[in-house]
Amino acid sequence: MNATMQADAFIETILSEDAEVRDRSLESLCDGKSLEHLMKHADALDQFRRSESNLYRRVRALFFLSSLYRYHIPARFDAMGTGSIPFDGYEHLLGRRFQEAIDSFLSEQAKLGASDTLASALAQAYHELGFQTLADQVRHSVRTVRGNQWMFRLGHVAEHPLRLRRELAAVDDPDAPWPILRETTAVRMDVSHSAWSDIFFLGMDFPQGARVLNVSVDLGVRGRDAEVRPPIETYLRVIDRPVFRLVSVDLGASAEVTSVAEMFDFARDYLGLLKAAVIASGVVPPGLEGCGASMESLLERVVGRGRGLELVSKINDIPKGSRLAVSTNLLGSLISNLMRATGQIRTLEGALSESDRRLVAARAILGEWIGGSGGGWQDSGGVWPGIKLICGQEAGPDDPEYGVSRGRLMPDHTVLEKDRVSDASRQKLQDSLVLVHGGMAQNVGPILEMVTEHYLVRGDAQWIARQEAMNIYDEVVEALCDGDIRRLGELTTRNFEGPLQTIIPWATNRFTDLMIESCRQQFGERFWGFWMLGGMSGGGMGYIFDPAVKQKAQDWLASELVRVKRSLETSLPFAMDPVVYDFSINDNGSSAELLCDQKATLPQKYYALMLPEWVRTPLRDLSPQTRSELSRISNRCGDPSDAGMDAAELLRSVLPTATHAAKSDSSPVRETTLNEILHRNGFDRSQHEEIRDGMRTGRFGLAANRLARELKITDVESQHYIETRDGIDPAMVGIGQEAIAAGEVGVVTLAAGVGSRWTQGAGVCKALHPFHRFAGQHRSFLEIHLAKNRLASQTHGGVIPHVVTTSWMTDEAIRTALHENGNYGHDGPLHVSSGRSVGLRMVPTVRDLQFLWEETPQQVLDQQQQKMRESARSAIANWARSIGEGSDYTDNVPAQCVHPVGHWYEVPNLFRGGVLSKMLREQPSLKYLMLHNIDTLGANVDPGLFGLHIHSGATLSYEVIPRRLEDRGGGLALVSGRPRLVEGLAMPDDRIEFGLRFYNSMTTWIEIDGLLRAFGLDRDSLDDTQKVDKAVREMAARLPTYITLKDVKKRWGHAQEDVFPVAQFEKLWGDMTTLPDVDSRFIVTPMRRGQQLKEPSQLDAWNRDGGSAYVDSLCQWR
Amino acid sequence: MQVLKAVITAAAPNQNTLPLQQLVDRNGEEKTALQLIVDETLSAGVEEIGVVIQPADEENYRKAAGSSIGALRFLHQEHPLGYADALLKAESFCGDDPFLHLVGDHLYLTASQTSCASQLVAVACQHECSVSAVQSTREHRLPYFGIVGGNSVPRHDGLYDVRTVVEKPTPTLAEQELITPGLRSGHYLGYFGMHVLTPTVIECLHEVIEDPSLERPTLSDAAAKLASRGKYLAYQVHGERYNIGYQYGVLIAQLALGLSGRDRDYLLTELVELLAKRPESSVSAVPNAPAASKGVDQ
Repeated sequence: MNATMQADAFIETILSEDAEVRDRSLESLCDGKSLEHLMKHADALDQFRRSESNLYRRVRALFFLSSLYRYHIPARFDAMGTGSIPFDGYEHLLGRRFQEAIDSFLSEQAKLGASDTLASALAQAYHELGFQTLADQVRHSVRTVRGNQWMFRLGHVAEHPLRLRRELAAVDDPDAPWPILRETTAVRMDVSHSAWSDIFFLGMDFPQGARVLNVSVDLGVRGRDAEVRPPIETYLRVIDRPVFRLVSVDLGASAEVTSVAEMFDFARDYLGLLKAAVIASGVVPPGLEGCGASMESLLERVVGRGRGLELVSKINDIPKGSRLAVSTNLLGSLISNLMRATGQIRTLEGALSESDRRLVAARAILGEWIGGSGGGWQDSGGVWPGIKLICGQEAGPDDPEYGVSRGRLMPDHTVLEKDRVSDASRQKLQDSLVLVHGGMAQNVGPILEMVTEHYLVRGDAQWIARQEAMNIYDEVVEALCDGDIRRLGELTTRNFEGPLQTIIPWATNRFTDLMIESCRQQFGERFWGFWMLGGMSGGGMGYIFDPAVKQKAQDWLASELVRVKRSLETSLPFAMDPVVYDFSINDNGSSAELLCDQKATLPQKYYALMLPEWVRTPLRDLSPQTRSELSRISNRCGDPSDAGMDAAELLRSVLPTATHAAKSDSSPVRETTLNEILHRNGFDRSQHEEIRDGMRTGRFGLAANRLARELKITDVESQHYIETRDGIDPAMVGIGQEAIAAGEVGVVTLAAGVGSRWTQGAGVCKALHPFHRFAGQHRSFLEIHLAKNRLASQTHGGVIPHVVTTSWMTDEAIRTALHENGNYGHDGPLHVSSGRSVGLRMVPTVRDLQFLWEETPQQVLDQQQQKMRESARSAIANWARSIGEGSDYTDNVPAQCVHPVGHWYEVPNLFRGGVLSKMLREQPSLKYLMLHNIDTLGANVDPGLFGLHIHSGATLSYEVIPRRLEDRGGGLALVSGRPRLVEGLAMPDDRIEFGLRFYNSMTTWIEIDGLLRAFGLDRDSLDDTQKVDKAVREMAARLPTYITLKDVKKRWGHAQEDVFPVAQFEKLWGDMTTLPDVDSRFIVTPMRRGQQLKEPSQLDAWNRDGGSAYVDSLCQWR
Repeated sequence: MQVLKAVITAAAPNQNTLPLQQLVDRNGEEKTALQLIVDETLSAGVEEIGVVIQPADEENYRKAAGSSIGALRFLHQEHPLGYADALLKAESFCGDDPFLHLVGDHLYLTASQTSCASQLVAVACQHECSVSAVQSTREHRLPYFGIVGGNSVPRHDGLYDVRTVVEKPTPTLAEQELITPGLRSGHYLGYFGMHVLTPTVIECLHEVIEDPSLERPTLSDAAAKLASRGKYLAYQVHGERYNIGYQYGVLIAQLALGLSGRDRDYLLTELVELLAKRPESSVSAVPNAPAASKGVDQ
């Protein structure tokens, strides 16, 4: 390392042993530095990270670089620069060759100079490389934990070193049941929530800050379960067939695994977690992946010739997303069970020793990595008994992490015995705390990434918040030891409302805020506090009450949660109705019992699941073990004293029943059938059949969306657009101001979409999603757009009528929300234009699926996740084939089967529904509309841009913005010499898009009369329904139809969700620019104005780079 | 220290007939396995050998012993109560003397000029303590052996100070507790089936027999205690052991013996011919290691 490097303040911060220097924030380092200075620092950092051997220093340098390019360098660019991203760099990025991607971007930067566009690409590449480096390290550490290493060395089943314990071997009597090993395990709750300090990276870099207070609990769902008990039960027994049978009674899934390869195929069925457990337990060690052996040969070594194993899991129907680490503890339980059976844990029965628990926890981490999921290091806390402190540890010379990271992968667990937390204190906690599942099941992955990033760049506010959370942790432990639950409640609330939300504002949401508020109103002083479980609120949560009212509060919460959920279910992604739990502290952790003779039975639900298959099979084809099992079931059914066997339930399992009511998690809102919906919402059956035919024959499809390859598509030149980033002529501003004051403009907000990307197909109304706090309250997209309208009309005078266009999926929700919230305090004219068209989704063709996966650039995932994805893809292709390609997609709730038919239709719908006509009647001065997407938050009625449009005399003026890496989906291009917008779907080659500097923000200024003319209409003929319908049909025929694949969630069981890609068609508004008879112009605006929020993972950056502050400045809140 | 006595255990059920197997030694002479083991024992300077057997087997053993019968004393284990119990049957035979111990189902083939047993006895005499012969063993063979964890003794090649002993450990446990520095990864020190033991071991054997938590205790259980009672070493002998108790065990032992001796060329020729004649339709079996059918830990 040379002297210059050491002198660099950024590098000094990374290298320093002095905490004062090391914990300096990136912001403070950038303060007052010019662009040139920052670029020099970025160079030095890049060189440093290339030569540095210490992993954590390298990672920190990468995150510094990512933040520099994402936040600090772009802020110092002048507004006018544009650049493009080299496609080969982008391909490297997608292929996870981050190093090569960075090299490509840097060489482009050296050639053509720095630009906002390139900076966005560099920021992303450094960010990804940072996380990849961290993940590699965790993976490496997991593999090098002693006791795990051998599993990666084993390469052939013949060398399998494990043998099943003989206690589990079959008994001699052919009619006696075979022994069953049952493991019962608690789940864990995290009392302290030390600011996500259980993320592996944090524990390994900052062990002294990684501390949690973790309690093992038993659960029961209030009103459903008669008793509170350890929610997790796993069973293992030898079977007389050489297969590995996996059964999840909660998911109603079973499979007989017959090859080693199948054990590694996680997404093939719902048994991925059980498979990961079998692998992590060493019974099918990870080293055997790809060995090609049969399961029979492996089982012959481990269990004996002709024998197999059966592993059964049961989690007592605890819904997913409980934030109680059910899946990690289930993994732990399964692993512990299998390790006991193979002698890796020495005690077959009873509790685990501390060293065994550590081993199980290490294997559970391994299992999570193998299964492509991830948890925190405290999650296997349910394996430990009672209340414990889990703390990060410095790595010592004997640890594999020594010299690599400051901390160890595995934390230390200190169980707090009764001398520290007395029986009385434990009882007090149980008497005050109400545990609930709020019903939301969200992906916390992006939040954990944000936390890691904030930590590594030591964000000023976030770092102070983390120190505060650490202090709160100490006080929480003290309060619990003192049995002062009221104080505990105060502390957890303070933690939630203070540091946690400072670090991650999205830890809370409207639902949580409303519930806390509601508790305060209802119980006042007797509501002692709230605590968030896990990564974010909305799912598992805790409410602490004065014990005197706990019972009442519990009942009240059960109904209040459901009431509030109902009011928000169209705007927030709920997976199920909320439930309240009964709970008690579990003082055993994980423990096992060997069930022999008459006690050797599996849960009732197991038999209900397996019985139909057994009954269908001719008796002679059943194995002797199953035959004898059947006869025992028969005996038990006849024994009225046998409480564990409900003959009626067994009978139901084999008889056909009306399943609809039982299957779906139903809310009373949805009673209408699919056919009614289609009928009422203008579903065009003949068009649907035509598209289906087209899809099947290949005339429509992802490949057919694309423009011909021969077309010359190039970037536009300066004469093709109007530049406004360097300001707008004051004369134009004047024109615009006057027109606004004269009531010539209205706003159209497109809100027909359900935000497929925003909620990963949850099907809620994106417009109503209260995603960010402005002026002290969570505000939805719609509310923000109305607030901008208010400020514009107040500033310039005049009335700006506002239209919200909807589709069948969003119409009722939006109308209700507007009604219930009094138009969010908006007193100007507000119209809802209902969707007039609806499409029926179709099962995609395998050809389109393959096109999507193979022909379009796809982000390659992390190694394990990629394996999961490939396995899932083959399952999806099989699903499409078996259901029938191009057939109607009806196997879901109706709302998920229909789709909006593209935003182009939302404009003609204004004509067809009479809304435009009504607006023109009410405000005859109206001449222009500003149309924008729901997620373009920066778009407001800007007098300058409006003036430009008026002055140009164009019919349509589209706003475009300089492209950033995330702006994919077409752009402004010169097609055969004519400027127009090209949709991403229509790009003949993905490479072309990277040559286009401007991205379509969709915000469009419309001259109403010109548009009507283009349709062959005028203001008067708008009331002639037939004429309007004809005009719309004719125009539609001139525009291309695109087939797209959208992810749709199907919910089932207890908050379980499957995601299916389904086909739908759409027509897009940008294609109006293809019509030669419509005068379309293009205006380049600053990036802020056109920036779109497509995914929740963008929120953090949007908040930090000033995006949210900019939007705030455009709004007037009520 | 002088080692003049030896104990061979051969009473285990299912294994009691193994020493009666007929093999051909390196010089082309036909001998029983028992004779081969006795030869190995005598080569180390031992004068008296106690053989622990099931009472009903004595007749057959006498016949199998051949010319060495004079050195043998048969000790009876009435009930199959395990390995530790079998060794204790030799308690009075050994008295207060150190003794060489071999198991009846192993054959040994030295890789040096001196026999495996002589190598071991020499080390024991030099260090005046119990020494177990060990061999570097790959982890997939862990289910078959007692495994020793220890550190190498400075300046003595192949000699280890035993820290702990575990009978048939899982690889998980082995990795956590039995790693011995200096071995290749995934390799452990596995018992060779040959030990020189001091009278202290008898005390330890009594203790483990009386420990109700142990079902059918083994020598490893007693040896684990030995490590904490004083000096206990493990020595990597120069040679190979062959367990004739496995499926094909006798065959492989015979091949090893034959190929290292006088008839090497003859055997090689026969083998090549066998290989050349292998019918095409033969079953392509998974190359399972022996004892494939013994999945459940017996």
